[in-house]
Amino acid sequence: MLPRLIIAVSLLAICQPFSLSAAVAGKATKKELREAAVAEATKIKAPAKLIEPVAAVPMISPINAIWHQWRDNQGRVVDAMFCGLSGEYITLQTRDGKTYHFNGNTLCAEDIAFAKDCAVKMRAGAFTGGSVATAAENIDRLMLTTLSAKGLKPNAPATDEQFLRRIYIDAIGRIPTAAEAGTFLGDTATDKRAKLIDKLVYSSGYSMQMFDWMADMLRVKDTFNKGIPAFTFEDWLKNRLATNATWDKLVTEMLTADGRLCDNGASGFLLFDAEMPLDGVANLMTTFLGSNMACAQCHDHPLADWTQRDFYQMAAFFGASDGKDEAMLRLIQKSTGDVPKAVAKKIANVNAFRLEDTEKQKLTFPKDYKYKDAKPNSLVSPVLISWDKADLNLPVYKVDTTKPVQLRNQFAHWLTSPQNPRFATNIANRLWKKAFGLAVLEPVDDIDDLAGSSSPELLTHLTQVMKSARFDLREFQRVIYNSKTYQAAASQTPDLSKGPYYFTGPLIRRLSAEQAWNSLVVNAVGERVDNIQLRRGQDIKQMGLPAGAVTAAAMVKVYEGMKASGLTKAGAGGKAAGGSTAGLENGYDGEKPVTRYSLLLARASELPQPSSETHFLRVFGQGDRLLADSGTSDGSVPQVLQLMNGNVGRVVTDVKAASVVTAYAEKTREAQITSLYLSFLSRRPTAREMTATGKALSDGMNLTDLAWALVNTREFLFIQ
Amino acid sequence: MSLTLPANQLRDPLARRTFLERCAKVSFGLSVLPFFSRVAEAATAPGAAPNAGLPGFGSAKRVIFIQLNGGMSHIDTFDPKTGANKGPAAALSTKAGFQVTEFLPETAKVAGKIAVIRSMTAKVGVHASAAYLMRTGFEQRGVIQHPNLGAWAQHFLGSSSKTLPSSVCVGRAANQGNGWFPAAFSPLPIQSPSDGLQNVKALGDDALMAKRTNLLKEIDVGFGQKVPDENVKAYNEFYDATFQLMKSSDLKAFDLSAESAATKALYGTSRFGQGCLLARRLVENGVRFVEVAHGGWDMHATLEDRMKDVGGDFDRVFAALIQDLEAKGMLDTTLVAVVTEFGRKPDFTGGGRGHHPLAFSTVLAGAGVKRGYVHGASDAKGYKPESEGVSPGSLHATIAHAAGLPVQTDIETPSGRPMQIGNKAKLVKELFA
Repeated sequence: MLPRLIIAVSLLAICQPFSLSAAVAGKATKKELREAAVAEATKIKAPAKLIEPVAAVPMISPINAIWHQWRDNQGRVVDAMFCGLSGEYITLQTRDGKTYHFNGNTLCAEDIAFAKDCAVKMRAGAFTGGSVATAAENIDRLMLTTLSAKGLKPNAPATDEQFLRRIYIDAIGRIPTAAEAGTFLGDTATDKRAKLIDKLVYSSGYSMQMFDWMADMLRVKDTFNKGIPAFTFEDWLKNRLATNATWDKLVTEMLTADGRLCDNGASGFLLFDAEMPLDGVANLMTTFLGSNMACAQCHDHPLADWTQRDFYQMAAFFGASDGKDEAMLRLIQKSTGDVPKAVAKKIANVNAFRLEDTEKQKLTFPKDYKYKDAKPNSLVSPVLISWDKADLNLPVYKVDTTKPVQLRNQFAHWLTSPQNPRFATNIANRLWKKAFGLAVLEPVDDIDDLAGSSSPELLTHLTQVMKSARFDLREFQRVIYNSKTYQAAASQTPDLSKGPYYFTGPLIRRLSAEQAWNSLVVNAVGERVDNIQLRRGQDIKQMGLPAGAVTAAAMVKVYEGMKASGLTKAGAGGKAAGGSTAGLENGYDGEKPVTRYSLLLARASELPQPSSETHFLRVFGQGDRLLADSGTSDGSVPQVLQLMNGNVGRVVTDVKAASVVTAYAEKTREAQITSLYLSFLSRRPTAREMTATGKALSDGMNLTDLAWALVNTREFLFIQ
Repeated sequence: MSLTLPANQLRDPLARRTFLERCAKVSFGLSVLPFFSRVAEAATAPGAAPNAGLPGFGSAKRVIFIQLNGGMSHIDTFDPKTGANKGPAAALSTKAGFQVTEFLPETAKVAGKIAVIRSMTAKVGVHASAAYLMRTGFEQRGVIQHPNLGAWAQHFLGSSSKTLPSSVCVGRAANQGNGWFPAAFSPLPIQSPSDGLQNVKALGDDALMAKRTNLLKEIDVGFGQKVPDENVKAYNEFYDATFQLMKSSDLKAFDLSAESAATKALYGTSRFGQGCLLARRLVENGVRFVEVAHGGWDMHATLEDRMKDVGGDFDRVFAALIQDLEAKGMLDTTLVAVVTEFGRKPDFTGGGRGHHPLAFSTVLAGAGVKRGYVHGASDAKGYKPESEGVSPGSLHATIAHAAGLPVQTDIETPSGRPMQIGNKAKLVKELFA
């Protein structure tokens, strides 16, 4: 027990939610505190400071936010919102939007019990569409009808082993440990699948997995062009995912964000394209609506109906927004004082890139505009696109375009509404692909023509499920995971030249780069990897200059602060250090990762975004994040070389590797072999495999050799 | 003329599949593509291209693409000027009849084997964007990534080697050089030329590796039998290809120590020297396209010192590469291109020069390119081209032409956009004899 105690104490020292002086509640009795918490829970739906009110956009919070004065076992108190309980770990969010993830055993006994209550309450009724089981059955019923109309039958149910590996990968982004696999496979309860789904989607691994998925789609990158550090955007996304913010809320916050990146991480999404705002509009249309307008940016779309005028009219909703404060940039350049040039440039970028709405919409048609429907260089009026004439009758199309400063908010209101003709369908289609390996309508970035889908009824139905889940992505996925359709045996990669695929089950898939890496890391260090969290935004926040006080003295003060936290050292020291993972180690709140064979053993979401080009993640297809959806699962020889001969191969076959240590702890050779099979392949060995591996082990090989062989099997790299 | 599939076939999976089967047999970077993946399309062989009948077409079996990062000053290297804009070094006459500066004494000796384009012109004066433009022939956009010439070549001509990659980049990031083509078309990055290919040595000795491999084969067989999936099969092929590569004698291509003392001395010990020597070994052994980066050219100040240092390194190594290729009988079939980001300002102030994309120089040598030739000219100040300039797109079309690729010929990207090598620019025919 001693080691755990030490971890708990040091965690507290690092997390420090209890030492925030403003949060200490003084000498209130526990009863008073509890009553206050209940009153608060009924009164407050969301922390006031977190969500800046956006005009005319109603916010839907799926969680009945539970605010509470949490007390630790030393009597210290903090005011925070409950986000989740995952094993012994609790996640809380304070009113400044910062998330804390720490060992719940440090709480007082009453609050441990209270946290367990919260966890139960959070799940109950979280799906706003009624019963999860019924919603899953509805999908299955629809699929049966569709399939039988085509003369097809669903695949047989997946085995427990197949389901186990698949649900761990899909719900928390890694394979199970030997212990986790053993627990599930040994469970004889008939509802064990539904229970496992709930356990996983409400654990901390879920939000890390969602971060990996969204990072590829939203182009999450440590530094934007010209070296603007964007850690606050990452922190913002991680904190929002930890509280399971709904998709409409996430998107609204990104599209309506104001201010500097150092003050408001949500502004990172639009600031990514601050110097190419038209590309930014094309990107967000693709990501959030599956609308392929990029061609129409320069000319009428040759294959779709979009005209260049359509594009410009949409882009005009962002024509009053400004991302770069040139005056500030010049001012800072003049006031650098004794701050070194490179550091001054960094400070300048952090302060000058910000989102602000002006009184005038400035976008004009290009000077070489060649169509008759508008004049070159003339001012563009904002007009929403529609996919069908009937769309225009929807109430959500009534937008007020008279106030330029409100244009983005009006746009976001239209875009994120359940009435928007594509918003719900786009995210439902993308999440279906995430679970099944293929979207109902491919490609996901071009769903303008819904009739092109392999199953329009399914797409319509999923859109409805998404709306009834009120854009709660966790609940939507929970419904899918509970369906028999998802829990069927996997199909092999279909040959689409012979016709569409009708989803008789999910497809066999290669693990994504992130899933493969996370699965290797869990084998190296065990399930504690889900508690290692990187947060680096604080460093960027301290680079913000006080408003109206851009002076040499202020610059020097920021510089001194940066020096004190090691931010000015290249490659090491501060949390913000770039490419070198050596410099990252201070950036972890709570548990720290270990480094073995030069590899920092944290999950993909808790490493540089994206990783360096030669890192396992990139070699296996992690995107460069310059374009949306740029990750791939293409194969290559360098991948195999890394797994067989590289540091990654060393890490998982090391005698210190968690799965090797676990296997050695078993007493019999059979149990050792079984343990390694469970660790790497999430199943027990067959009799033939037991004989073959047993023979190899008698023949002078040891468990690290077996680990090497298992990690290099195709079965490890693919999920069924 | 267009190599594009008719619009009604664009989304026809069968046409796509034919293409996939063709590119799936790429040995080094075999691409695992589910049949529903969207890939770039081209239906006709490059031989049918409009440029196929012109001189120089296909004369380059391989390309070494040298990128000088930071922006090489044209006036201080390949385009000497007199008067107020003259730099610290005097002009040096060569036997080829054109001048370089005294910063390039070794290059001057091989001037008769190279061609200089003095009328390069572009509009981008920012490092990263200019480097992107010079590497791809396209201006950088936020919605699409453009391929380098190695990826274009792999698309049209297929893989260049059974065991080695078709494209390699030395001392620089691969940076999605594949553009819209499959990820397997991305160049293999070699960080340090003297270290060679990463992870090619087995963990443990041969005996252990043999045992481990046997065990792997034994326990992996069940899954392969149960799951005859296309993508799983593709990975089986990767493992086979990797085992082959680890045993392959082609790996010696990465081993600089196999060179003679004289050749080693010729290239010298600098990183760039090692990079160019590796490039020569790679193209000699079947790699088609090698990029080598050379940094340090952003000479805003102390230009004279840095030209002696950085420029001197380039000068020795570049001349060595040309001589070596010639001595090996490879220059006639190898194209060496030296590109930079932009030129530098004619005004010599503060001991250096600022960025100047309006006029700059590029060097092409080997294959069917004219020797001892100067194409185009900048004005007296070195400010802009005297007449029509050569755009980065034109340069790309020209190199592509030499490499036997179709120019001014559409292909369809996966998102259905028509695209051409060099972004529709014309090739410079005058460069070929």
